[in-house]
Formats: sequence, structure tokens, C-alpha cells
Amino acid sequence: MSGHDSKYFSTTKKGEIPELKEELNSQYKDKRKDAVKKVIAAMTVGKDVSSLFTDVVNCMQTENLELKKLVYLYLINYAKSQPDLAILAVNTFVKDSQDPNPLIRALAVRTMGCIRVDKITEYLCDPLQRCLKDDDPYVRKTAAICVAKLYDINAELVEDRGFLEALKDLISDNNPMVVANAVAALAEIQDSSARPIFEITSHTLSKLLTALNECTEWGQVFILDSLSRYKAADAREAENIVERVTPRLQHANCAVVLSAVKIILLQMELITSTDVVRNLCKKMAPPLVTLLSAEPEIQYVALRNINLIVQKRPTILAHEIKVFFCKYNDPIYVKMEKLEIMIKLASDRNIDQVLLEFKEYATEVDVDFVRKAVRAIGRCAIKLERAAERCISVLLELIKIKVNYVVQEAIIVIKDIFRRYPNTYESIIATLCESLDTLDEPEAKASMIWIIGEYAERIDNADELLESFLETFPEEPALVQLQLLTATVKLFLKKPTEGPQQMIQAVLNNATVETDNPDLRDRAYIYWRLLSTDPEAAKDVVLAEKPVISDDSNQLDSSLLDDLLANISTLSSVYHKPPEAFVSRVKTAPRADDEEFADTAETGYSESPSQGVDGASPSSSAGTSSNVPVKQPAAGAPAAPAPMPDLLGDLMGMDNSIVPVDEPTAPSGPPLPVLLPSTTGQGLQISAQLVRRDGQIFYDISFDNGTQAALDGFMIQFNKNTFGLAAGGPLQVPPLQPGASARTLLLMVVFQNLSPGAPNSLLQVAVKNNQQPVWYFNDKIPMHVFFGEDGKMERTSFLEAWKSLPDDNEFSKEFPASVISSIDATVEHLAASNVFFIAKRKNANKDVLYMSAKIPRGIPFLIELTAAVGVPGVKCAVKTPNKEMVALFFEAMESLLK
Amino acid sequence: MGIVFTRLFSSVFGNREARILVLGLDNAGKTTILYRLQMGEVVSTIPTIGFNVETVQYNNIKFQVWDLGGQTSIRPYWRCYFPNTQAIIYVVDSSDTDRLVTAKEEFHAILEEDELKGAVVLVYANKQDLPGALDDAAITESLELHKIKSRQWAIFKTSAIKGEGLFEGLDWLSNALKSKSG
Repeated sequence: MSGHDSKYFSTTKKGEIPELKEELNSQYKDKRKDAVKKVIAAMTVGKDVSSLFTDVVNCMQTENLELKKLVYLYLINYAKSQPDLAILAVNTFVKDSQDPNPLIRALAVRTMGCIRVDKITEYLCDPLQRCLKDDDPYVRKTAAICVAKLYDINAELVEDRGFLEALKDLISDNNPMVVANAVAALAEIQDSSARPIFEITSHTLSKLLTALNECTEWGQVFILDSLSRYKAADAREAENIVERVTPRLQHANCAVVLSAVKIILLQMELITSTDVVRNLCKKMAPPLVTLLSAEPEIQYVALRNINLIVQKRPTILAHEIKVFFCKYNDPIYVKMEKLEIMIKLASDRNIDQVLLEFKEYATEVDVDFVRKAVRAIGRCAIKLERAAERCISVLLELIKIKVNYVVQEAIIVIKDIFRRYPNTYESIIATLCESLDTLDEPEAKASMIWIIGEYAERIDNADELLESFLETFPEEPALVQLQLLTATVKLFLKKPTEGPQQMIQAVLNNATVETDNPDLRDRAYIYWRLLSTDPEAAKDVVLAEKPVISDDSNQLDSSLLDDLLANISTLSSVYHKPPEAFVSRVKTAPRADDEEFADTAETGYSESPSQGVDGASPSSSAGTSSNVPVKQPAAGAPAAPAPMPDLLGDLMGMDNSIVPVDEPTAPSGPPLPVLLPSTTGQGLQISAQLVRRDGQIFYDISFDNGTQAALDGFMIQFNKNTFGLAAGGPLQVPPLQPGASARTLLLMVVFQNLSPGAPNSLLQVAVKNNQQPVWYFNDKIPMHVFFGEDGKMERTSFLEAWKSLPDDNEFSKEFPASVISSIDATVEHLAASNVFFIAKRKNANKDVLYMSAKIPRGIPFLIELTAAVGVPGVKCAVKTPNKEMVALFFEAMESLLK
Repeated sequence: MGIVFTRLFSSVFGNREARILVLGLDNAGKTTILYRLQMGEVVSTIPTIGFNVETVQYNNIKFQVWDLGGQTSIRPYWRCYFPNTQAIIYVVDSSDTDRLVTAKEEFHAILEEDELKGAVVLVYANKQDLPGALDDAAITESLELHKIKSRQWAIFKTSAIKGEGLFEGLDWLSNALKSKSG
């Protein structure tokens, strides 16, 4: 390859970003505008053009509205990823918010609200304040919404700057759009605040009612929704409100109609005059009916809401049942809802029509819909006594079609009908029995068995029928088993003959001995004992008169219903669940200590926007009324300024969490090595050392508070290390006043958080308190703290061990600085550190000492020290099965022999 | 050939553009100077968080003047504006003697910048209308202007409020720029 080929690797192309950068800095306006357009295009397709931030922002001060809008768009997108540089845009916003053109003023204030960067929000308050008082209504209405956005970013700021009062003033604005937006903003703020911010008074009420007629449809929705929270003082005021709201029922927008309906329904509670109420009901029907001519999705929402409305006031739509008849091409979800409402609206007057419809539905193809139609017939029978017979005849006709699922569904509802009207329609039992063999669904089977048991005395072959079911007793689902048990007992009590007696024996045996189901077993035992103690009492219990049932299966509890009606035209009324069941929107102030953690997290991660914002944003709790602060999730917990990312990662990955402070203890002893000098620790000095006491390892640690403030809440955390050292209990340090110091012994445990890799003596420690950031420092693990009290070896075993270990497990090292001045003193000194003397010999002018030590997990060290007494220089030879530990061992020995 | 012709053409009709940065500590009067130059009147200003950019036509030169915020927090971002800059107007509050040292340090830090190697430097000893304001000689001394070797510089006593000295400075600047581009 010749040298010329290198030209293929150098390129004259600079790449897209530098090219764009050049164009953005062009002196020609057109070229700059084109460049910004290219940048926006790149941004839209997902390329990261955030590196052009300053260049784009420099194009911001322009007369050209189009260019300005493009730059604003860019800012909204990238301000968060360049929070520091975003400050460069502030002055332009301030200028634009004073531009003679109201469109630019509004644009500026709107964009400002979209930039969620803490650093610049405070600069935006002044422009916002001005814009809230702007001459132009378009600017004011935009500013109103901006307040709500700002509240979401920084609620305190909004309150401090009096923006809430400004918003409330805007309710009295002469422009209806401004009023609507102010109301929308206040409602939004109220939703995210636990304390009352926006309360409608009779004064604001009249303002809102006036604005209602003039503002846009969505403005009307905001105002109506806010009005629905207002409790009228008396019937007259309620009537007055309703009168002003009623025209909204004619609106083309469904949301406006539903919101108006909501208010009228709520105020109707207070209205005493029956005439007025009747009149209102009449007025509400047509708009509700009109909703059903919209798209299926809107129909569904309308139907879910109507479902609630008819539960409260069935009269409103009593005459409109025909609009709820299902069309062949309705989507299934609309059909199901319509059926539900048809059942609710069915009355003696329209039941013939309704039954005809239901019968028709029961022959359609959609199985779910057919089933629901059959059930609907049954529910009508239960609801309307006079229509029951007609319903039953329809059901019988359906059974004759012999479509399996229709029959099963019919049997289920007929069981309910029997319960509702005992001793009335039993003549049809024979017909039902014909379909006995086709039943395969548990609920249908259980229903049929119930019927057989209940009317055993009237069914000649009841015992045979039941017996046929009993054959498969163990395989049946629990529901069927329970019914079989009860039915057999009933049969036995009614016909205490030989056949049933055998049956009951078999069933009770099956249901007690052979089953795992505690419900079944318990019930079987109860029957068994009842029957064996007093059959007459059993009769009284089992065959007792049953309470009459009614159709309330789909009725909501009245307090829930009122709750849902107050939320008409929201998701809540579609789900039929109270809002707090599926959203949590109340924000509460975080607890003080959480806040501090959050702050720490923020300083540590200023580049990462999610951390910064999440850490600072208040936590949310479920339930609108609850004031209980909820602890911040892990986001804020062990995060800290990260001088050592690895350490941080490991710390966060550890199992044992930071242990809190309990009671203080104050040991004393020789001064400890300083590990965190006060210069590094902003005044806090930490000294510490690992020590061994009474066979246990402790971290002897002392804190000196040289700061100007009291420090408390000390916690400690150890990173993964070779020996898996970790805190064995809480760090017990009392709150430290300025100038005070405390020393404590922290019990350590081993093999808790082992680090992989070659052994080393590094121990990384993190200490935090409530006032300062987390401090990290490194300590050295002296291996001798691990030397166990059980390290003493007998001569013979020492010799055996020495011989058994291969020669390449032997290592030696010179400690040139160490001196053995007296053999006895050295032996004693080493024994105190659990290095035990075994034997000694003389070799020329030198003494040779043999010693042993052992670290946890039974790793022995066989030691040979060679030295001349009083002469510097000790040779240490060691044999151990664990070669990796040798380096650490020498370190420990050298420090012991110092 | 075409380039030579354009140059000739522009020097006859004087249709040049120059990119100027106005720098200096906060409250030195940069924004006031900018609008005094552009509109000829004194506007009320607030601390500039970010920048202002205006075009000032003077002596047949179109000055694109960038006024950058002088607060400590914004100074690090000055460098974003350095490329392609022909001249720097450094504004000093002559009455703020306490911070002259800071002003000097910032000034010399700017001069060190590679991207500003070729830029002409004009210093405005501003706020001469205030009592106790140092004169141009004293400011020259404090800023150690005599240490500047390899570039053209000048200092003018100005008062943005009264409008004194500003255009004299611009005269010098336009001449300096003309002679530089030749």
C-alpha cells in the first residue's frame, strides 16, 4: 500500500452539524432562516441537533415572525437538554414580552411556560407579571395558562409572586376568553394542590355565568366544570344557575352538553319545586338523545354517562327507551351499554316492546350479546312482577330453539325468577329438565342443581337426576360441588329414603375426606353434624324460607352514584369509578429530609434532566383529600455528588441499605488516622480504623464537626470489598454541635458484599449526614484484623501442613525497616493480634520463629520469621493454600512488626 | 478577479458589515450604550440575562453589535460568541473602582482567547458623568492596557447617559476596521 492511499480516509466533508452551524452564523438573513428550517427538520425526524443550541438561539432576535416561531419551537424541544445555555434566551423572551405586536408577546409568554428549566423560571416571572396585565386579551389569556404551567414547575414561586391572586383578578376580566382560561388555569392548579386555592363565591359566580354565554365551546366546558363544584346557597340560587346554564344544552359540542347536564343534575338536588324539576327533566331528554346520533365512541361515552343519570333520575328518559334499541350495525360495546340502559328503563308500559327487542337480540350471532339479552329478559322478569309471566314465556320459547348457550343462560335466570316468585312458575321445571344433558357451564349446572334440590319433592325422579351429576362430583368446579352438596342434603331431608341416604353418604364423604377445598369441607361438616345431631333442626336450617331477591345487580351504591354524577363527562363517569381510584393528582410538600436528599441528588446530576427534575418535584399521593406526605421513591435515596461513579454504582447495587443512627456511644483510645480531612469535608473531619476486639471486627470511627452548623443523621455505607466487610448495625453518632466530636465503634460483619477480582485492601466508605453532601473516602483494610483466635496450631499439625503445601505456595519478603528487639516481646505482641508462636530455632546468628494465623473460612498462614535480634531487617516467609492473599498478608505483617 | 472587484466596489460605496461584541462586567452600561448607538436615546434597562443584538449603521459600516450579559453566571457563555468577531468594545464602569481588578482580569482573559486574536479592541471608560469616575488614563492604568502588544486598541471617555464619547469611539473603530481590511 502506498502512502497515497491515505487520501481515502481524509474527507473534505464536514458533516451536517458543522455545515448547519456555519449557515446559522451566516450574515445573510435568508440563509439563517433556511438553516433554522433545516435544523427544525432534522429535529422533527429525531436527529439530535442540540449541539447547535447557541447558534440557533442567536437567531432569536429577529423581526421575522416565522423565524422567531421556529427558534421558539427549537427552544421548547432542547432547553431541557441544555439547561445552562437556556439562560441565553432569557433576555430575548423579556424583550419579546414587551414587543409592540401582541402576537409576539403572547408567543413569548406561551413558549416561556413550555420551557421547564428551573434556572430560568425565576427570570420569567417579571414578563409573566406584565403579560397578565397586558392590554391585549389574547396576551392575558395566554399568560393565564402560563401560570398553571409555571405552577407545575414551581408552585412556591407562583404563590410567592402573587400569580394566584392575579389569576383570580382575571376572573373579573371583561373578555370572556380570558375568564375561561383563568378558570381553566385555576382549576388545573386546584387539582394539583391539597389546599383550597380556587373557591367560587357568589360574586365570581355571576362573573362566570356572564362569561359563559360569550366564550368558545372549550372555554364553556372549563367554566361549566368549575361551576359544578359550586354549592348553591339555596333553592333560588340553584334555580338561577340552572336557568343560566340550560341554554348550553342546545350546544353542538357534546362536552358542553354533558357539562351542562352535570350542573343541572347537581343543582336539581336543591330545587324543591316539583314543577321546576319536571320541567328540567323534560329539557334534558332531547340533548341526551341527540348525543346518541354521534360517532359510536361518543355514543359509548354518552351511554356510560346516561347509565348514571337514569339511575339517579329515571324519569328524564322514561319515554325515550326506543332510542336505546340496538341497531344491527352498532359496535358490540355500544350494544352492551344500550341493553343495560334498556333494562333500567323497562317498565310495565313498555315491557312488551322491550321483550320483543330482547327476543330478537337473543337470536343474533354474537354470543356475548345473546347471553346478555337472555339475562336482560330474566332481570326484567325480576324487576317487573306483572311482566314476569310474559318474560318466562319468552324464555321458554328461547329454550325451545335449543341453542346451547341460550338454554344455559335461560336456566341461570330462571333460577333467579324462581327465587323471586316462589311457588308460581314451577310448572316449567319439566321443560328445563329436558335440557339437563346439554349443560356444560358451571353456573348453568349449579343453577339447575339448585332448582332440582329446591323442588325435589315435586320432581319425581329428582334422586336420579342428582345421581347423574354425582358421578362426576370430584371433577366438578367448586361452584357446582357446593350446589350438589346442598341439593343432596335438601333431597335427603325431603325424601329420607334409601336412595338419597346412600347419596348423602357418598357426597359427604367426597366433600370431607376427598377434597382440598376448605369451603366445601366446612359446609359438608356443618351439614353432617346437623344431620347427625338433629335432623329436624337441619330441616329448619336448610329448608328455611328464603328472603326475596330483587334486581339490584347493576345498581351503584347511592353515595358512589352521587360521586360519579359530580364527575359526569370525565373518565370517572365512563369507568364508573371515583377519580381517586385511578389517578393521583394531589401534590404534597415532601418531608424535610426527603427534600435534602432531593437537593443532593440535584446538585450531583445537574446534567441529567430527569434526575434533577424528579428529585426536586414534590411527590404525589393517592387520594384527593389526603395530606399525608408520601416518601419519595428511590430516586433521591443514595444519590450524591459523584466523584467516583463506580463507587456510587456499587453502593446503589448493594443489598444492605444505609443504616440510620440509633443511640450514641463514646469509646476512647489512641488517635485514629484522618481519612477525610476537614478541608475536603467542608469542615467535617472523619478519622477511622478497623480494629479487632473480643473476636469481633469493629470500625473505630470518629467525627469532628468543624462546621458552623450542627450535624445530625449520620449514616455510613461500605462499598464492596475483598473481605465483604459491611456495617453490622446502625452507626451510633449523636447530633454534633459545631466544634463537638464523637467517636464510636461500629460492629462489622464479613462476607456481606464481596467484590469480585483480585484481593486488595481497599475499603471505600461513604458517610452522609442531613446537612452535607455524601462524603467518600478510602481506607485500607489491615488483614490482621481478620486473624482469628482459633489460629493457633500444634507443632505436629503445623509440620504436616507445611509439608502438604507445595513449594510454589511459599513466599518470602524482607521487611528492612522492622526490628525484633526482643523475641519474647515480639511473640507477645504478635499473639495479641492472633499470630501465634509455635516454635523457634537458631540458625547461625539469626533466630527463626515459626508462627501461625488463620483468617475466616479456615485459610491458614504458616509463618517463618528470620531475624537477628536488635538488627533491622526481618525476613518473613509464609506458606498458605490461598496464594492471592499473600500480598495482603505481607502488608499486615509489616505493619504488625513496626 | 470578482473578489477584487467586490472589494473595490464596497470600499467605494462603503457597504461593509462588522461583527462587534460589547463586553464588560454587569452594570457597566453595555445595553444602554447599545441602544444609545442604535436609537440615539437612553432606554431604561434591566440586567441582561442573555444577549441583545442590533444593527448600527455608522460611517458606511454596518455594525452588527452583540451586547452580552455581564453577570458572573453568564460570562462563561461569552465564548459562544467569539468566532468571526472583528472587534470588541469593552465597557468599564469608571466609578466602580472596587471591581476594576475583576474588570481587568476578565479583560485579559478575553484577550487570551484564540478566536479573538485578530479582533480590534475599543475600551469605553463609561459613566464619566458620575462623580468620582476615573479618567481614561487611570482606567488605562488599571486595565494594564499598555500590556497589549499585538493588536490595535484605543480608550475613550464616555457617558452613555449624556451620549458623550460613544461616536468618537466608533469613528476610531471604523477607521481601524477599514485600515485592517485595507
